[in-house]
Amino acid sequence: MQWVVATAAFLASAVEFVEAFTIVLVVGVTVNWRSALLGALAAAATLALLVATLGTALVQWVPIDVLRTVIGTLLLLFGLKWLKNAILRYAGLKARHDEEAIYEETRAQLRARGAVDASASRFDLFGFLLSYKSVLLEGLEVAFIVITFGLSAATSTVSRSSGIASAALGALAAGLLVILVGVLVRVPLAKVPENTLKFVVGIMLTTFGTFWTGEGFGVEWPLSDVFLLILAAIYLGAAFSLIVWLKRVKEHQRAQVIENQSAPTTVQRQEVNP
Amino acid sequence: MKVIKAIYNFIVGDMIILIGVALAVAVLALINNVSALAPLKGFSGPFLIIAVLASLVATLSREAFSPNR
Repeated sequence: MQWVVATAAFLASAVEFVEAFTIVLVVGVTVNWRSALLGALAAAATLALLVATLGTALVQWVPIDVLRTVIGTLLLLFGLKWLKNAILRYAGLKARHDEEAIYEETRAQLRARGAVDASASRFDLFGFLLSYKSVLLEGLEVAFIVITFGLSAATSTVSRSSGIASAALGALAAGLLVILVGVLVRVPLAKVPENTLKFVVGIMLTTFGTFWTGEGFGVEWPLSDVFLLILAAIYLGAAFSLIVWLKRVKEHQRAQVIENQSAPTTVQRQEVNP
Repeated sequence: MKVIKAIYNFIVGDMIILIGVALAVAVLALINNVSALAPLKGFSGPFLIIAVLASLVATLSREAFSPNR
């Protein structure tokens, strides 16, 4: 078991599962639970098939150095995207994800469509497809992380299959936890620190992406694997500095807007003091 | 075209990050494969880290100073 891989997959998956859970919950409450759960299960099966086939194909056919370069680069792209959005949200330049708002919005759409008879147990195709689509789309990112992280974490002592298995277990644990908490509380999981999770995962993906891309190009990092911690510290420090800088930029821009609104124009000044 | 756009949005969705990382990888590939650039191999690691940070700063600056925001 590779704990770093499992933890990264767990955190990344938890965020995506919370988003998917919100839609499944609203379909369950508004349409019916049968359609919602069947849609979610069908999507989970599709994702499992994807990880199994794609993961196995990559394990068997692609050399490890090529894999590290390609997957390291993909992780860098993915990690920077997550990190950028998390930094913008912390700085107040982007709205935070609001599960309650998504819940109410989807519920209103379903009500407008007339699907409000949650007590009916008959299969509803629209509810099934909505649940399937949301779990599949959110789960695709999880599948991507499980495959890339699992494969790249493989070393000479740890097989690639073991890496994928560790990542898949992390994702599975996150899925079960979200479902368990969701079943217990039966409301949108709005209190999950989604942005913090995305920030941490963004730092992890960027760190591992840099490390593996470098290794793919023959870089010999000082202190070997311990350099991962140094890399994470560098990115963490940079991210915090960027948040502070962006908050100042936002304050400055806000002050300028207020100043422009309150200051009388030249024409107005001339009218007041002819 | 729709499929390519969907893949682009799924993986990165940001042109500055994509160009920054692609340029960094291209330079690393050159350093690694062109013998005349072999003396620069020792700088590959720091270069990659700086390129990643520069891409992040560039894309955040664009968001912060965008007139559309």
